[in-house]
Amino acid sequence: MRLTALLSMAARVVVPKDYRYGTNRPWTVAAKRLNPPGKRRRKVFVEPIAPEEWPVLRGDTVEILAGKDKGKQGKVIQVFRRRNWVILEGLNTHHRYIGKTPDYRGTYIASEAPILLHDVALIDPSDRKPTEIEWRYTEEGERVRVSLRTGRVIPKPVVERRDGIVPQQWKDGPKDTSTEDALEKTYIPSLKTLEEEVMEKLGIQENRRHQRSYWY
Amino acid sequence: MGVLSTLIRGLVRGADRMSEFTSKRGSRTHNKGRGARPAGLKLPSTKFLAIRAMIPELVVPPLDGFKLRPYVSYRAPKGSEPPLTAQSLFDEVVAPQIKKDFEAGTLSKDQLEKYGFEPTQEGKLFKLYPKNYVR
Repeated sequence: MRLTALLSMAARVVVPKDYRYGTNRPWTVAAKRLNPPGKRRRKVFVEPIAPEEWPVLRGDTVEILAGKDKGKQGKVIQVFRRRNWVILEGLNTHHRYIGKTPDYRGTYIASEAPILLHDVALIDPSDRKPTEIEWRYTEEGERVRVSLRTGRVIPKPVVERRDGIVPQQWKDGPKDTSTEDALEKTYIPSLKTLEEEVMEKLGIQENRRHQRSYWY
Repeated sequence: MGVLSTLIRGLVRGADRMSEFTSKRGSRTHNKGRGARPAGLKLPSTKFLAIRAMIPELVVPPLDGFKLRPYVSYRAPKGSEPPLTAQSLFDEVVAPQIKKDFEAGTLSKDQLEKYGFEPTQEGKLFKLYPKNYVR
């Protein structure tokens, strides 16, 4: 029981009610270092936003309205719903050393800090200026984001696959079935099972039948 | 390896009693199977008699000019065919024949076997119920 308890601790993390969520995922070593069990921190107040009303999606282009990089536009890399944070690519950065060892001073990299959703605005594609957003329904019944200033619909960003494959630019390998062959309809409906059809085609005749058997 | 490294960390002591004891654990002489089906008979003289009929044999039809390959291209969109149900199979295969015979006036309820009706599954090699084939 001791070993299974130990191994299951790594699988699912139980997080206390007043856990302060940071940029690290709660099951990582860095998060456990910053928030060890039993640590109590001052409570952060997060404006509650309903899940349906959340305006910014990963991959959207947004503009920063306040802070160091005010006025710049960037792509959203990560979204933290628990703290209403958004991380943009290459913006609102501070510099730090990473991979420090006793003999090496570490690599100096720029790391992005999260920005509150309130300080960020979606960009209207028609004039590329920040706007307020509302969720509305189209004639077809689709739920879309509409810019309040111009009334233009802001399309959802294209979700990139984690493995980086763009389906439209894929080159077929030797083991890939081509699209036409895969979509070809060759099924002829019949009342025979696959095994019966194959036996008929290959001319196999099976006259033996199963023996009657029982199980309890 | 993972289990032993957690032990070496010194937090927990003793053997692992809760994991499944497979043929990978235990000594070299400990012979345990992983649940394979028998392919013959164990004779009283500790010999094993292999029976050809009990050894599975893959029957593959000739694949000349077969255009389908193991993987599908990423560019292919999702198919638009509805899933095959018993009702749709009946509608495509059996219903037109019954309709034709009804209009010709030759439909009789005693001769449903010619449309594929099977009153019992006895005597069949591949029974529908209880299902005795894998696919």
